[in-house]
Amino acid sequence: MITLQLLIDALAIGAAYSLVALGFVLILNATSAVNFSQGDLVMLGGFVAVALAAYLPVPGIVLLPLVLVIMAGLGLVFSAVAYFPLRRRPPEAVFISTIAVGIILQNGANAVFGPEPQAAPALLGSGEVELGGLSIGRQSLAVIATAIVLILALRWLLGGTQFGRRLRATAQDPDMAAAVGIPVSAMIAITFALATALAGAAGALLAHNFFVTPTDGTNYILKAYIAVTIGGWGSIPGAVAGAGLIAIFEVIYPALPILVPALGRVDWSGIAFSQTTSTIVLDAIILLILLVRPQGLFGEAVRQRP
Amino acid sequence: MNLASPRSVNLQLLIGGIVVAIYALGFGTGYTQRVLSVAGIYALMAIGYQFIFGYAGAIALSQGAFMGLGAYVSGILSVRYGIGFDASLPFSLGLPLLVAFIVAVPVLRLQTHYFALATLIISQIILLIAIQWVDMTGGANGIGGIHPLSLLGWNVPPGQATLILIWSVVALGAAAAWQFGRGSLGQAYALMRVNSVAAASIGIDTARLRLIAFLLSSAYAGLAGAFYVHAIRVISPDVLELPVMVTCLTIAVVGGRTRTAGIVTAAVLIIELPEWFRFMQKYYLIAYGAILLLVVIAAPEGLVEAWQRILTRLRPARVAAPSRIAPIAVSWGHAAGRGDVAESPLLSLTEIRRHFGGVRALDGVSFDVAAGEILGLIGPNGSGKTTLVNIVSGIYRPDAGRVRFGGADITPLSPYEIARLGIARTFQTVALVDAMSALDNVAVARGSGRLSLRQTFSVGIDDAHLARRRGEAMGFLDLMGVADDAARPCGALAYGLRRRVEVARALATEPRLLLLDEPATGLNQSEQEDFARRMAAIVRARCTLLVIEHNIPFLNAFVDRLVCLDYGRVIAQGDVASVQRDARVIEAYLGRGVVP
Repeated sequence: MITLQLLIDALAIGAAYSLVALGFVLILNATSAVNFSQGDLVMLGGFVAVALAAYLPVPGIVLLPLVLVIMAGLGLVFSAVAYFPLRRRPPEAVFISTIAVGIILQNGANAVFGPEPQAAPALLGSGEVELGGLSIGRQSLAVIATAIVLILALRWLLGGTQFGRRLRATAQDPDMAAAVGIPVSAMIAITFALATALAGAAGALLAHNFFVTPTDGTNYILKAYIAVTIGGWGSIPGAVAGAGLIAIFEVIYPALPILVPALGRVDWSGIAFSQTTSTIVLDAIILLILLVRPQGLFGEAVRQRP
Repeated sequence: MNLASPRSVNLQLLIGGIVVAIYALGFGTGYTQRVLSVAGIYALMAIGYQFIFGYAGAIALSQGAFMGLGAYVSGILSVRYGIGFDASLPFSLGLPLLVAFIVAVPVLRLQTHYFALATLIISQIILLIAIQWVDMTGGANGIGGIHPLSLLGWNVPPGQATLILIWSVVALGAAAAWQFGRGSLGQAYALMRVNSVAAASIGIDTARLRLIAFLLSSAYAGLAGAFYVHAIRVISPDVLELPVMVTCLTIAVVGGRTRTAGIVTAAVLIIELPEWFRFMQKYYLIAYGAILLLVVIAAPEGLVEAWQRILTRLRPARVAAPSRIAPIAVSWGHAAGRGDVAESPLLSLTEIRRHFGGVRALDGVSFDVAAGEILGLIGPNGSGKTTLVNIVSGIYRPDAGRVRFGGADITPLSPYEIARLGIARTFQTVALVDAMSALDNVAVARGSGRLSLRQTFSVGIDDAHLARRRGEAMGFLDLMGVADDAARPCGALAYGLRRRVEVARALATEPRLLLLDEPATGLNQSEQEDFARRMAAIVRARCTLLVIEHNIPFLNAFVDRLVCLDYGRVIAQGDVASVQRDARVIEAYLGRGVVP
């Protein structure tokens, strides 16, 4: 029973992480550059939701479209500042420029909102619902549902529309895409808008249960980075799968002493299954994966041309 | 390396440094001296960072963690075991070195983005351990009461003496970094950064170079950390958090990735910055972000280089025409009596297979290249020619089959080992360092197998090794007819000249077998003829040649024999005339039904 409850929590976290990782992969595929500020964009989305809620006392589900639109707009600004001036340079330049944007966002948020954790409104209201004997957080269910809707919408956009085909063509080979008349710059700018909106959605979804503080970004970028590494560099379904695996690990590992009572009785279980140790173990696993399979767990979807 | 003389800028930097020093020592308050001491510590850390970030070109995000590790080790030894700053140095340098060495094995071979991730993860692990291991580290609160700096029994008082000590070490560290970068080793790193495959193809052990850079970086960081903890006298997990790393990265980018003087200048500016932006209180980090962004966009080579460029544009330096370096003749190959004529065949390929996904690029290729022969490898686009060259030079491993060279099986060897055995190559797209002179692009191939730190630091001010290598390089440029352009940066050379410089670099490794991948592409008729004539003359006397080409008339002028590939198989081989008449060859090039 408790396992099922934990799994639903994991699913909620994994759903939010998926949105972060998807944004990361979209930019990666379109520009072959790593967006190191993706985590800070998540944090920004959380604060945008917090700020909006101060003026509009409505449920989070009503705020979410606003957050998406605002963040998409900021994504365009982001691409104009940190990507387009550097598009003819090696990907490392963009890596550094996005680190710079991350610093600005993090400290900007600190200046505006202060270092205290703040909560965004719940999507549909907080509290628990009884479902077949399980009591499940309303927010968790709403987060899962919202993320699924967003992921399906993205899937439809990329796979089912002419626009999506152009976007994917741009990601695969910008020069070729330009040669067949696709407006590559516009496609890349829109990719940034999408990626930033997804990060913002994740931030708004996570900021109710987990609060938002200006320094959250580092944590989220690591999650996105790791999810994409596990799932195969550049693979969109892989990013979702990787995010899910991380979330399951994060929820299950600290709960092991409860799930397996024998572990709970060991006198070092407090330290061995703390939240901190959980992160260290996850980090160590990722290093091991990189050691055994430098190309990631499922291989690279984006291959570097020699 | 650059045409503009950098001397004027260095003089300005020196004067600026002296002014700051006089001000700090003579008029500065204790607070100013303290800030400048911290600036010195950051300078040391960032000078170290330029080895891995600047020279090796890898974005490591672990430099802050290595500094923090050194700080923690030194601080803990001081408080818990009463060991002074100097006695603890072996440990405060040793542990970061050890950690770097251990993680280097899985991490260093990773591509850029994974390397950044892996180093970030290592930093996070170190931070979490520092927070978690409360008994040893004091947890989130850290430890206070760390003893001040001491050196050989002398307790260094804070203020002037500490400032002087730290900046003396910075000067030593900077001198070592400068020496590291200015000679043959620095050139090898420059090539590796631009194109590590090309670096390996002239015998540079790129993995070793990366390791050296990573270890040096971690040692500098550990040293900086030891100074930090004894100067500040408290330690907390703050030192392991991302802002320290971000500051280091900002300093390195603002100063210029491989400009040591720039990095020292940037360290003072960046650490002083919060003092100037007092009104921003603790949000000065926003300014760091903005500066980092601006510099990456507007002056990616760093502020010092940008300043130098502006000065050069305003007041062009009157650079005396570089005195032409006298070529030093190198006698090699058959001409030196070390030919391969006896041990024929020199290269022997047996049943080589290689697929990429579902494409069988090579499907059981076997042929020999006789010693002293000039062999042309032809075939339509996609027939597997370049894949074959990549397999012979070790860039790809075959799925099956053997490559023998001089009788020995070289299939399992890595590219740099194969290069050192005497196989040199050029690339379809020319792989040179644009910012380096043609001369240095060739000089880097001389003695690339003997690069070492010991040699780098034992040459002294007057680098005799480099002078000799440049002289020898001049000889090879002369062979290819590009000696007149030796002093020009490769980026400024016309395409045909770049091709020749690349061949000169390959020749400079004194190969027994030279592999040329489409050398005639982009050359006009007379350039092609000249190239063919030179190759015939140079190679005939000294080594064996395998040349990939589409251009049959170009090949006709100098090859002994042709091998034709199609769909990954050898469809014809023999003398030029018979291969050209071969029905399958004609079909492969022109399609079925063409009657010769």
